Amino acid sequence: MRGRLTLFIASCFMALPVAGADPAPVRLNVKPLLCVLDKNATSCAVTFDIRWKSELATEYCLNDEAQPLPLRCWPKALSGEHRHERLVTQDFFFWLSPASGNERVAEAKIEVLRVGSTDRRRERRSRHVWDVL
Amino acid sequence: MKFPTLCSFAVLSAVVAAAPLAYAQADPAGGTSASTTAEPATPVANAPHAIPPEKNWRFGVGLGYGQRTNPLIQSEDIPVVVDLDIAWFGERWFFDNFDLGFALVDNSRFTTNVVARLNSDRAFFGKTNTRYVNFTVTAGGDQVPIPPPSSQGAVDAPVELKVPDRDYAVELGLEMLFDGEWGHGTLRAFHDVSNTHEGYEISADYSYRWVRGRFSIAPSVGVAYKSAELSDYYWGVHADEVLPTLQGYQVDGGIGWEAGLRTSYYITKSMRVAVSANYEKLTDKIALSPLVAEPYVIGYFAGLAWQF
Repeated sequence: MRGRLTLFIASCFMALPVAGADPAPVRLNVKPLLCVLDKNATSCAVTFDIRWKSELATEYCLNDEAQPLPLRCWPKALSGEHRHERLVTQDFFFWLSPASGNERVAEAKIEVLRVGSTDRRRERRSRHVWDVL
Repeated sequence: MKFPTLCSFAVLSAVVAAAPLAYAQADPAGGTSASTTAEPATPVANAPHAIPPEKNWRFGVGLGYGQRTNPLIQSEDIPVVVDLDIAWFGERWFFDNFDLGFALVDNSRFTTNVVARLNSDRAFFGKTNTRYVNFTVTAGGDQVPIPPPSSQGAVDAPVELKVPDRDYAVELGLEMLFDGEWGHGTLRAFHDVSNTHEGYEISADYSYRWVRGRFSIAPSVGVAYKSAELSDYYWGVHADEVLPTLQGYQVDGGIGWEAGLRTSYYITKSMRVAVSANYEKLTDKIALSPLVAEPYVIGYFAGLAWQF
């Protein structure tokens, strides 16, 4: 039971291969996966640590949704690492694709969370006894 | 107020325009493994976009452990294992965890709402017990039962000691919400409209939130004046409630204060670790009531919170 729970929690934080894509298992790990913005902030300046591993030496390219061209391509590699500095303003994906095609063999979603609101009513704190959050 | 200003877009656009596009980069070293390469500092942002409108509904749940102490005598602390957050925000009307409100004024400097709410003092009276007291006197090393006052000499019947019942009051009032680089401020004035305590409360609070990475911390302070009518209804011992074990007490109005700290560590966009603590000092007059065992309320909670 505990093992299943651990597996479930771990799967929440991991970028998994895209279902139905290249049968060669590829694992893409990106850190961080979350950008937290305060109400008046417009972007996070993030240096992403991007790592991937494949069971077959393949030519892969790393893509960023905001870029028309791959960030980087690796010729016949089993793994790769890359650091990428970027401003983040909205949710987007990094993904790996074969050098010869556009399909996504593994992807990682980077999410933007805005804490606070421009609507002041959503920021009001109630004084209820049970309100602890 | 609900949308970023044109200025924000202009600044963002300038950042994007100034950021050179990243380029495709082939690994010069062929082989089975690629080494880490730090890209030149060429920040790239997504194309500027409007912040998506917020949903009308807000659902949240916190699961963990916490409690609020109960300042009443013969009472139990209030456990907080599940904390639900249910709110709906329309153009002007809103429902926020049992507060019903209507935005009268909303401009760049402040928002004024008319709000109907339930008084929160009543919540403590839902967690009280009845105790039975035997009156005894110690004489020569032995405890001897004595008749309680006004019991006409009966010594064997224990006397009931019970916290009187109190009703929920519906209160209507105005609140002004302020915010800026300096933090958030709230002014509130509420009056009973349910003929329950027929009093009023005026309060002010201030909070400031820091966000660093995935961590946010928000300390807050507040003061509240509770009128004599409100204070006496909930915390006084009225003439018809006087018992041999409970002396009468009339409560005047007074000022109480509170301080709190709310922290969050965001694990994902919808899940966070939440830890909060709050200290509330009751007014001096309320603290002296025979119904009050502790002149303060301490609340704390630690757990996971989800926002849907």
